[in-house]
Amino acid sequence: MTGYVLRRLLMTIPTLLLVSLAVFVLVRLIPGDPVSLMFGDGGTPEQIARGRAALGLDQPVFVQFWRWLTRIAVGDFGNTITDGQAVLPLILERFQVSASVVLVSVAMAAVVGVTIGIIAAWKQDSKLDVGIVGLTTVILSIPTFWLGLLLLLLFGLKLGWLPVIGYVPISEEPWKAMLFLLLPVATLTLHESGVVTRMARASDIEVLRLEYITHARAKGLSEARVLARHVLPNAFAPTWTLIGLILGNLLGGIAVLETVFTLPGLGRLLADGVFARDYPVVQGCLLFTALLYVIVNLVVDLFYPLFDPRVSAE
Amino acid sequence: MDNLLNASIRKHLLGASLLAASALALAPAAQAQPAPGGGTLRSMINADLRSTDPGVNRDLNSDAITMHMLEGLVAYRENLTVGPMLAQKVDLSADGTTYTFTLRDGLTFHNGKPLTSDDVLFAWKRYLDPATQWRCLSEFDGKGSAKVVDMQAPDPKTFVIRIEKPSALFLGQMARIDCGGSAIYHRDSIGADGKWATPIGTGPYMWSEWRRGQSVDLVRFPGYKSLDGKPDGLTGGKAAIAEKVRFIIIPESASAKAALYSGAIDVRPDFAARDLDEVKGRADIRTGTHPTMETNGILFQVNEPIVKDVRIRRAISMAINREELVDTVTFGLTRPANSMVPLASPYSGPVQKAEWKRDIPGAKKLLAEAGYRGEPIKMIVTKRFMSLFDGAVFVQSMAKEAGINIELEVLEWAAQLDLYGKGTYQSMFFSFSARLDAALSYEMIAGPKATQTRKVWNDPAAEALISQAMVISDVAKRQALFDQLHAKFMEELPMIPLWNSVDIAAWRSNVTGYTTWAASMPRLWNVTIK
Repeated sequence: MTGYVLRRLLMTIPTLLLVSLAVFVLVRLIPGDPVSLMFGDGGTPEQIARGRAALGLDQPVFVQFWRWLTRIAVGDFGNTITDGQAVLPLILERFQVSASVVLVSVAMAAVVGVTIGIIAAWKQDSKLDVGIVGLTTVILSIPTFWLGLLLLLLFGLKLGWLPVIGYVPISEEPWKAMLFLLLPVATLTLHESGVVTRMARASDIEVLRLEYITHARAKGLSEARVLARHVLPNAFAPTWTLIGLILGNLLGGIAVLETVFTLPGLGRLLADGVFARDYPVVQGCLLFTALLYVIVNLVVDLFYPLFDPRVSAE
Repeated sequence: MDNLLNASIRKHLLGASLLAASALALAPAAQAQPAPGGGTLRSMINADLRSTDPGVNRDLNSDAITMHMLEGLVAYRENLTVGPMLAQKVDLSADGTTYTFTLRDGLTFHNGKPLTSDDVLFAWKRYLDPATQWRCLSEFDGKGSAKVVDMQAPDPKTFVIRIEKPSALFLGQMARIDCGGSAIYHRDSIGADGKWATPIGTGPYMWSEWRRGQSVDLVRFPGYKSLDGKPDGLTGGKAAIAEKVRFIIIPESASAKAALYSGAIDVRPDFAARDLDEVKGRADIRTGTHPTMETNGILFQVNEPIVKDVRIRRAISMAINREELVDTVTFGLTRPANSMVPLASPYSGPVQKAEWKRDIPGAKKLLAEAGYRGEPIKMIVTKRFMSLFDGAVFVQSMAKEAGINIELEVLEWAAQLDLYGKGTYQSMFFSFSARLDAALSYEMIAGPKATQTRKVWNDPAAEALISQAMVISDVAKRQALFDQLHAKFMEELPMIPLWNSVDIAAWRSNVTGYTTWAASMPRLWNVTIK
């Protein structure tokens, strides 16, 4: 197992190298540059050239890439163009915000989705099942930002129960922080539980049709025991993979949701970085996201045998 | 007013400098601030602060915040003329090249240190150092309207600045908001590493806390020494009534609206015109509007195929129903602006205001003469500013009636700005930030294309007229120059101006004293929150 983990970790190096090259080139292919943005509709060619030189943007792209790569290798993600902050601490600070929303939401979505999924599968084709499938389809069809806005208008504006905007770190004021995080977490939970429910339902239906389930029932086991002992463990593996993918995807940024709820998270940092053509921020965020994705997938793969013993981590 | 000016100076004062210097000579003594109130006044910005270094690495949000903390020797008044700020008076030499600023008494920085001319000299030396990357360096190093050749601080109250040749725009350029108002800051604003650290100015509010991605807090400066008189643009009487002002970052406009309605913010500058009707019936929300000097319109690269023919450009112009277009995209808040000189400018006279009538048969005739056969004309536009996008859609539709085939290409703002800077486009729906003098309004589009690719009007004769307008003092003569420029502009039509933007703001009913204005920048001093 240790050897497998080490091999997987070593494989992340070429992956990240490729990602970094792709990120670097793609970011520079976007039209517009940070200096032009800084000067807006003014700025002489000399000023713009001077600004570009100060940022090293006048150098050939491969020189810029090499400089960036050698700094990244020692953990230096550079400084933001907009306000000169160190990028890595900024990413880590913003990641905490995104992670707190995403981890709680995905955990809740997993619990809710798996539970509802198994109920729907158990009552397949009943009114309850049709209702659940219909509801999840509706939830999946609603973009998260719109769902977020609806919840914000309802609970923040109409009912006045929750704050409309703002953020406080949990470490500073836990109760207030929870109030601020409630709506974004609820939005994401609602949306992702729709995805998880559908996957869990489909997997559970497949398992419920197998002979050993019939056998378990014939033995006289209660339905609850059949579902908990025989259906859920055997049907959970695909859902687990999906949860891993969702987690990796969302940890990389929930920019739209963070924008709606004014959360200073990683996604908003990346989006702001793109709009400002803040290359070190965009490159840093994307590389960090890629690393996260690799790590989350590794963890999912390592835990997979727990849910499906036929698959070996080796 | 003039009788208080030194007679020898009066003879030689130039243009805009005349008005400004006159006012400066009359600058009243400082007065004590009105009794401060309490509480936190919460406004919003739509993106995080870039920097507090005035005129360096800035945007509109950064300008709005720094202007609460930092002040220059002069500043814009409500009517966009230049008035006194840190200077009590300014004397101009007989040859119009030496400005002598006398500082007001008793001014102190936020760190308690007194303001002296040595501080002014320090700030100005830094501005003129290319390494600072001051946005407005080109206006003072000889590439633009003036060249500073010498600066002196002969005594603690006097700062002298000498320029190579007279410039009617010198004080106006100093006061420019995007130049940070050439604000004077204490040298401790610069860190030990030589980089900008913390703004230590003389303004009514002091730097407090920046929660990146969330908010910027400023607190009342107890030692602020205001000018006498009523509030006047960025100058005049200023009182930090609220104990604290907080600029909350809300990028999403729907969230910002919800925040205003719920009371999470008190003031929302940059309120959407389309939401004005919605708030009319609300007792808890007040609104204000004011025309600005931002110019919106269609830019042409006159070297590009098809649009290089002035008849095509004129046909597009003739196809546009301006009244209808402007009324729709601005929700009836303003009327068409037919000149590069904004409607709010004192130089917007009958010539500039002359109407452009829609003439579809005339447009078709011109197109036929030009041999136009429906070839596509690409028009770049962004959705960052929805009124521009809406305007472009209207123009496309109106032009179609004349048989003009405009294809819209929607780009993200930075990408559009890149094309604008490189001059690599056929036509573009664009918005120019406010230029507070008519000469500068023309200067932003006119210039040698070979060296300044962003310029669209490459006409040496027009450039000569603009250069004259930057030096000549007499208002009537300047007006004549702008009339001539307008005629030439109409002849060549490198841009179709359509409307000037409107500053719109909304605030909660417990807020008093907030006003919109032509420079379209939020001012939270003199604002009370109950």
